[in-house]
Amino acid sequence: MVPMMRSMRSGSVSPLSSMKGTLKGAGLRLPLLLLLVTLLLCLLPVQAFGLTTERFTAKSNQDGADGVMGATNTRITWQGQSAEDESVKSVTLTLPEGSRLPADGVTVTVLEGLKRISVPANMVEDGTSVIVTFDEGAPAGSMIMLELNNAQFPPDGGTYSVVGTYTDMNGTTADIPDAGKTVTVIGTTVPEQMASWLAEQPWVQAWNSNKFLHLFFDPTIIVTTVPSVFWGWLLALGLVAISFPVAIPLGLCWSFLRMAKNRFARAIGSLYINVVRGTPLFLQIYIAFFGLPLLGIQMDNFVLGVVVLVMNSSAYLAEIFRAGIQSINKGQFEAARSLGMNGAQTMIHVIIPQTFRRVIPTMTSEFILMYKDTSLLAAVGVMEIMMYSKTITAATGNVTPYIVAACFYLIVTIPLTKAINYMEERLVGGHPKRRRQNNLPEKTPASLSGTVGAVAAEGSEAAVARSMRLSEGFSHGPQVIARDSLGAKMRGKDV
Amino acid sequence: MSEPVIRIQNLEKTFGDNTVLRDINLEVQRGEVVVVLGPSGSGKSTMLRCINRLEEPTSGHIWFEDVDVCDKHTNLNEVRSRLGMVFQSFNLFPNLTAKKNVMLAQRKVLKRSAEEAEKVAIARLEEVGLGERVDYKPAELSGGQQQRVAIARALAMDPHVMLFDEATSALDPELVRDVLGVMRRLAEGGMTMIVVTHEMGFARDVADRVVFMDGGLIVEEGTPDEVFDHPKSERTRDFLGHIT
Repeated sequence: MVPMMRSMRSGSVSPLSSMKGTLKGAGLRLPLLLLLVTLLLCLLPVQAFGLTTERFTAKSNQDGADGVMGATNTRITWQGQSAEDESVKSVTLTLPEGSRLPADGVTVTVLEGLKRISVPANMVEDGTSVIVTFDEGAPAGSMIMLELNNAQFPPDGGTYSVVGTYTDMNGTTADIPDAGKTVTVIGTTVPEQMASWLAEQPWVQAWNSNKFLHLFFDPTIIVTTVPSVFWGWLLALGLVAISFPVAIPLGLCWSFLRMAKNRFARAIGSLYINVVRGTPLFLQIYIAFFGLPLLGIQMDNFVLGVVVLVMNSSAYLAEIFRAGIQSINKGQFEAARSLGMNGAQTMIHVIIPQTFRRVIPTMTSEFILMYKDTSLLAAVGVMEIMMYSKTITAATGNVTPYIVAACFYLIVTIPLTKAINYMEERLVGGHPKRRRQNNLPEKTPASLSGTVGAVAAEGSEAAVARSMRLSEGFSHGPQVIARDSLGAKMRGKDV
Repeated sequence: MSEPVIRIQNLEKTFGDNTVLRDINLEVQRGEVVVVLGPSGSGKSTMLRCINRLEEPTSGHIWFEDVDVCDKHTNLNEVRSRLGMVFQSFNLFPNLTAKKNVMLAQRKVLKRSAEEAEKVAIARLEEVGLGERVDYKPAELSGGQQQRVAIARALAMDPHVMLFDEATSALDPELVRDVLGVMRRLAEGGMTMIVVTHEMGFARDVADRVVFMDGGLIVEEGTPDEVFDHPKSERTRDFLGHIT
């Protein structure tokens, strides 16, 4: 019963796989054939054909726009005019491969002149075709209108036409000539298809009927937002992955300047650190992104973002390192220097390795800060997490994209926070023998100070880590500077 | 004897208004063991720390072998590599194993090869009785063991003089013995040593000369017999009376 199908298509239709075979046969002659058909249509009276397509349209299914999206439910309307001398028994409409034409969504309207007449019909779907059979045939000269509800075009965008055949009362099957009527379909991605699928699910509809859940946790928006925000997430990770490793050595340099013997160097170091820590990153971003181009310095947004983050973070890291270095027991400097190591050797081989171990928790929280601060770059057009979610929220008027953005931040920050806690616990509990007390022997009777004074004044490392976080403020601890005459002030009493 | 290894002349040291050393004069001969005694706050440690300029002298001169330690142009790192120092609080590098502690300065200051430094480190650690513990971190060692590692670390630099700054004060009594044992053997081996300590027994047995300091002054010096049994100064007698 399946009518033989011959394919035709308008020039711009993307290849339809099911019809490829026949198309290949047509080869290059196809445009010529099309031209011929069009010419014929113009020249010959319409009545010469048994059934002609009058209308082929689809209802917009795009939010806030009037396009037709692929793989999304729409209502396709087809109208055909039957010839004055021919009753139509059945009509078969075929859409390209990938379409959906559910038979139960088809409504039939037959008009004779302006009068709507009742013509019982039954509908059968067959792949991407739907066959409408009229029990007693549609009268000759009538207008047949088929509305295909819940129909879908293929997910790939393109211009689609409908291919149809009809059967007259004698059982003769003929093609419905192509009337050049097409529907332009916007391609949809898998998430968009998922979203439209979700939108039909009863539980999603129930969920979204709650205003709060709809505004903040709309599943259909979640599925479309996640993939696009993902790119922003990668960019944010890229920003910190490049910025942080660069900021560490720079931060060390600033901290050395800050602790330098030379007064001038010290002034430069502390000026930089105080200016950067004393102004908002947001302001620094604006200065860099608007100031540098005015100076004629053109840089990629990403690179500029890295530069700003590095400059900002290095100032904070400098203070972390300074606190870390100054938390190292003076005895470590003294021991290294008494062995003949110079200042640089002492720093590189003795102090810095110990400092790093101590400041890793604080550095990790600085990393978290930097990662979160990438969001500020959205203000100057860097396409990171916030930028993507802001765009989607602006288009949909829904807050869900921001919640998705929050999740993208949290999947990084929560594990890192856990890691910090773990590290701190280890620093506190890891070395029971090394619980130190922060007092020098003159306070403890020499004979008792045994294990206590052991590595005196080194302090609990976790406490140090914590105190350093406090030093994030503007409090600069006592400026104990490692000079050649080591710890002159400290040791005065222990004579 | 011949030329002294260390010669301290008119050494003074003040911390602000606080004068801790006044007019210290001391000579130490090669191979001599000098024990410095005195109450807390008498300036013993400061004097010791001035010798390798961990403390900057306010005035006076200190010669170590042929160099003026106080001279601005003196290469301090070179001087310090020949002056071993042992601290009350050990000051081992906590992130390094015992062996690495002993190797570090050999590699960086004496520029010894890794193999040589390791060989020396193991030898020195064996000498102080820690051959078994070369790969332990300081935290895994007892106080006495840590102090012996610190001694090995100083010895690995082949110092000409060893300075001990209350090396046993931070130790539990039962751990003191091992450390003193090492110091005693070192003295018997002919090492020139200046020892600031409260261990009277050690001073009496090992010292060639005892120096008693009080109030930033050297109050009395002499052989252990002279100082312990026939102290000339009232202050010394008083101090020793309290201790023993």
